[in-house]
Amino acid sequence: MPGNDPDQDLVARVGRGDPAAIQALVARKLPRMLQLAHRMLNDTAEAEDVAQEVFVRAWKQAPTWTPGAARFDTWLHRVALNLCYDRLRRRRETSMADPPEQVDGGPAPDRGLLARDTERRVTAALGALPERQREAVVLCHYQELGNIEAAGLMGVSVEALESLLARGRRALRGMLADLKE
Amino acid sequence: MNAERFASLAEAWGGAIARWPAAEQDSAFTFLATTPERADAILAEAREIDALLDCAERLAPSMALRDRVLTGAPRQRAARSRAWRWLTGAGVGAGLVAATAAGLVAGVNLSLSAATPSEDEALLATLFDTGLGDELGGAS
Repeated sequence: MPGNDPDQDLVARVGRGDPAAIQALVARKLPRMLQLAHRMLNDTAEAEDVAQEVFVRAWKQAPTWTPGAARFDTWLHRVALNLCYDRLRRRRETSMADPPEQVDGGPAPDRGLLARDTERRVTAALGALPERQREAVVLCHYQELGNIEAAGLMGVSVEALESLLARGRRALRGMLADLKE
Repeated sequence: MNAERFASLAEAWGGAIARWPAAEQDSAFTFLATTPERADAILAEAREIDALLDCAERLAPSMALRDRVLTGAPRQRAARSRAWRWLTGAGVGAGLVAATAAGLVAGVNLSLSAATPSEDEALLATLFDTGLGDELGGAS
């Protein structure tokens, strides 16, 4: 796997402080990390903070990055997921004292645009999934990770990942049944 | 592979067989080829969920976020490294200049010393002047 890491050369150049490589890495990975965090946390400001922190760690790691244990993209995902889970844990602790407002899954008559409404509904439904199911859907569908890589990141077998995915997608289908027509 | 297993895989991994576990793909394609109507119906249902998932909001990085991220990038490290390279380059240059200068001085000294008879030549001249050189020459 390490020999196949498509980011290996880029990361090496980043480690040497190559400005073009730094720009390229940001262009390649920032949208990906932001999407991951946004779909895990369903909060723009928090997602941006997580994405920024991922890069703080990437800048530290790049000069000493040694291909071997994992691909750089997988390592970034692991960092991002850990940061997301830290925030989700904090949310749970806070929510015991101060329950948050419920996610509004209903239509938004003031928006008018069907596509915008669908976008909002799907995002809300995704956010309403149990965390592990959401993580499975995010890694496999949105981040397009391979099943072995995603299972490894989640610390489960491919069979367990399949079960999480099936339950997550079934729940989404139920929540969004009226949008399928 | 039977229809139940094919449906389970589609429900979990979606409507693109290429994204299913590698170990299951050959059997899945065989099922698709031998039972196309049933397989297509299952895949179509899975693709509906895929399409819905694709409708989710896509958050694009703002310029402000890009700037925040780039602020922490190893620019200073690059600057330091450039400065270090420049300084070490200058150091090497200075060293080369010093070495060249030293070489020139040494070369001049050698030239000067080459222009005068060496101590060995002076000793040989003394020996031949005293006749000892003939004895030594005769012995050889």
